[in-house]
Amino acid sequence: MTGTLIAQSLVNGVVLGMTYVLVALGFTLIFGIMRMVNFAHGEFYMLGAFVTFFAFAQFQIPFIVSLAIAAIIIGCFGMLIERVIFRPFRGNELNGMIAALGLAIIIQNAALIMWGADPKPMPSVATGILKLGPLIFPWSRLYVIGAAAVIIALFYVVITHTSLGRAMRAVAQDTEIALVQGIRAERIYPFAFGLSVALAALAGGLMGPVFGVSPTVGLAPMLKAFIVVIIGGLGSIPGALLGGLLLGIVESFASTFLGATVSDFLLLALVMLVLIFRPWGLMGVREA
Amino acid sequence: MSILELSNVSVSYGPVVAVHDVSLSVPKGKILAIIGANGAGKSSTLKAIIGLIKPRSGEIRFEGERIDGLSAPDIVARGIALSPEGRRVFPRMSVMENLTLGGYLQRDKGVVSRTLELIFHHFPRLKERRSQAAGSLSGGEQQMLAIGRALMAQPRLLLLDEPSLGLAPIMVQEVARVIVDINKSEGISVALVEQNAKLALKLSHEAVVLESGEVALGGTGEELLTSEYVQKAYLGV
Repeated sequence: MTGTLIAQSLVNGVVLGMTYVLVALGFTLIFGIMRMVNFAHGEFYMLGAFVTFFAFAQFQIPFIVSLAIAAIIIGCFGMLIERVIFRPFRGNELNGMIAALGLAIIIQNAALIMWGADPKPMPSVATGILKLGPLIFPWSRLYVIGAAAVIIALFYVVITHTSLGRAMRAVAQDTEIALVQGIRAERIYPFAFGLSVALAALAGGLMGPVFGVSPTVGLAPMLKAFIVVIIGGLGSIPGALLGGLLLGIVESFASTFLGATVSDFLLLALVMLVLIFRPWGLMGVREA
Repeated sequence: MSILELSNVSVSYGPVVAVHDVSLSVPKGKILAIIGANGAGKSSTLKAIIGLIKPRSGEIRFEGERIDGLSAPDIVARGIALSPEGRRVFPRMSVMENLTLGGYLQRDKGVVSRTLELIFHHFPRLKERRSQAAGSLSGGEQQMLAIGRALMAQPRLLLLDEPSLGLAPIMVQEVARVIVDINKSEGISVALVEQNAKLALKLSHEAVVLESGEVALGGTGEELLTSEYVQKAYLGV
């Protein structure tokens, strides 16, 4: 019995963790490259969930294709937003943050007006269970883990093995020196932002069948992404991976064995511990 | 014949004037040394040339065409590269990735790999350490990498900002040898900014002395080495 519970908690934790990783990766990428805290990040998660919902549930497009459509549409939308809304605030972190906050409110309320407040149930993508001895795993959860792992791996390849990825990392590490290599930072920013929010959209779409879709679904992942990047280190990609999985698993185990209230308490205690003893995060770079 | 000409260039950071009415030129295929004390405006001059700061007034011409007002990437595309002060390699990237970024604008893969061969020929140490993180290299090796990265852009003019700063004496000699070598064998013109005046004057064909943002003196490296003024103020003779 305990074995099943532990396995179940682990799977749930990894599912949650993978979502946090996807959301936090984009969030930390944007901070690393543009020094911008994108408070609207969760809204792109929500938009991704809606696009996936419409494509999959209404137009009966296969789920994987629906996800890809959501990533592309939201990614392009993100590039547009970067050019139109965030470019004027370049180099002005505080005003950029306020603009992001405003954008979040606008997107959320626009969604509320268009699609209403009621959560829309998304049909399951996978049904049935996987039995491994006494352990039972629902396919719907394993599916999320597998898809997220593939997306994270693709993202990793883009960041480490493409010219665009290298340019992004160069801009993140030293913008001025990146310019001197011939990298036009202004042309890199929209791609980085588009990639970042496309990851959030994919996370939203993936979690749609698990949690349902409504205009407020972006709030919790956004908050969790914040916690993840504080634990992992703001701007650190390995930190987002480690922090996301850690947070998901701790949250899942704590809420199964100790209850949801204790779980929230534990997470925030974890954040405080990190802030006290390693304020630059587990994998972050200590600033001089 | 000069490859680069600055005429009456001034640079200021807000109200602070860093470079005032500076005119100088880099002879084609030669090494120009720019010497001077800390804060004399040497680095600001290089930053103005590469497009990281816009000059407040004056003209900068590269191969006869005005480049002041262009962005840094556009200037790099025209054939100028900078090895910055403090080296500033990308610390969390490998040596190879740093070099690859230096050739960012070069789309022809054949040219990139030939340039890479050339750099490994000049800096065999970089080849040995190519998969190591740049941040874990020694100061001298980082300097080699910074110069190598700049060479990856295939510049016709190379700007070197304090390449000897903070290096062990033996590494200083090594870097000096490489600078001369690159200039001679590749025919790349060099503008060399140095606080180590003796070293810079020995390497260079021509030299200028900057003081409080203005050109105080100019001549061949030889002339300045023997000038009483330079000897007193900069060589400690």
